[in-house]
Amino acid sequence: MIWPKFRDWIEERYDIAKLKKLAKSKLIPQHRYDFLYYTGGITLFLFILQFITGMLLAFYYIPHINFAYESIIDIVTKINMGWFFRSLHHWGAQLCIVFVFIHLFGTLLIKSYRKPREFLWVTGFILLVISIFFGLSGYLMLWDERAFAAVRVATGGAGALPVVGSFIKIFLRGGTDVTGDTLTRFYAFHVAILPVLSLLLIGLHLLFVQYHGMSTPISLEHKEYKEEPFFPNVFYKDMMIWLVVLGIVVTLAILLPPEIGKKANALAPPPEGIKPEWYFLFLLETLKLFPGIILGFNGETIAIVCVSIGIFFFFLIPFLDRKSSRGEKSPIFTAIAVVYLLYFIAMTLVGFFS
Amino acid sequence: MSLKTTKMLFRTYVRNLKVLNLLESRFLASLRNDTKTITTQSQRRESRSFKFQNSILSLCLFWVALFFFVIKPLAFAEENIPVFPSTPVEAYTIYASLAVFWLAIIGLIVIIKMKLNEIDRIQKLGIDKEDNEAPLLD
Repeated sequence: MIWPKFRDWIEERYDIAKLKKLAKSKLIPQHRYDFLYYTGGITLFLFILQFITGMLLAFYYIPHINFAYESIIDIVTKINMGWFFRSLHHWGAQLCIVFVFIHLFGTLLIKSYRKPREFLWVTGFILLVISIFFGLSGYLMLWDERAFAAVRVATGGAGALPVVGSFIKIFLRGGTDVTGDTLTRFYAFHVAILPVLSLLLIGLHLLFVQYHGMSTPISLEHKEYKEEPFFPNVFYKDMMIWLVVLGIVVTLAILLPPEIGKKANALAPPPEGIKPEWYFLFLLETLKLFPGIILGFNGETIAIVCVSIGIFFFFLIPFLDRKSSRGEKSPIFTAIAVVYLLYFIAMTLVGFFS
Repeated sequence: MSLKTTKMLFRTYVRNLKVLNLLESRFLASLRNDTKTITTQSQRRESRSFKFQNSILSLCLFWVALFFFVIKPLAFAEENIPVFPSTPVEAYTIYASLAVFWLAIIGLIVIIKMKLNEIDRIQKLGIDKEDNEAPLLD
């Protein structure tokens, strides 16, 4: 009895029927690559999960050099279900970055970035960078020796960039070395700056998706294909997939809770066999390929410049791929996408098993 | 306790047990040598008290060694911080809850799938579309 009254109350004030009509009029193409549409939805779901678990953890986390590590131990050992939410946050982040990468490479391979969707690519790419920075800043929150060493290496790597490198390094660290200031700074990034930026960009990304509609592969552009309404068909399918993803995250959180190492000590040597998070492994392995000195120049600087050029080229693909923007097939850019994908997978595996 | 820590502790335990066995065998050997050289009664008495002292000493040494080599590493070993409830009851509850959670997910998926099939059937029949020519009732 309450629900119909409430519905009437809302409908008197807002044109819900129009919204319903809009949701039903949104059509989703059906083809053999349509599973890639769901990767965006999964990423969105994982972002929401991260926001919820992150807020719960923020109730107890203390972003201070003397208490950060201890507060996490308290969360894990003393707070009811604290270990579970920390683990859920950890695995949610890992899967979120996995799905961001899948979504990105899927977009690249079916050329969904082509005209007029270039800004969708741009917002998505910035969201990937934000996700990675979310991961790095969240990693330091633990303030254990691995996190400390990983952040020191990552920010040091950024410092190797010519001209702006030292500024970026000092800006990120809040000084010349990783200290309590870095922790405070990363905390501000992790809980305030990056969430606001990501919310804005997610909003913008979704707005662009609604504006342009769903993209179809070039091969289907001039052919007839089946379509189904977003609401309720695709919406229910999304629900089913989200449930499975939630189940996977919860299972991983229970079966493989993330370990806590020793408290960070700036004077202690870095632990043996230290590796960064998996999404930085391809970068690390690439840097290892370069010798210390190349033609009298610092090898690390040249490596960082080469990697930056590679990433910048990747970012510019929608603006460089003229053929696909004309609706023609562009095998060169498909090959480039495959090379990027294979290189990323191969180097990550090499880094993981070495 | 992680598998790695357990393995490390087990290795320490085995190694220390070997050290203890060696200590014990040496003491027993020294006791045997003492009894072989006994001739007179006083010497025998002396030897008996010596044997008693030795056995007490060996026992003390054994327990001290046991404490330092076996019990201490096991009891005061630097463990990783427990990131998962360690009591069997809690672990059992968590795993049982996980199983129930998956059953609930499967149940929900079945319900949504049934709903989706129903929607597909209605859409195929074409009765989901609004009939614009339908007469309006006052």
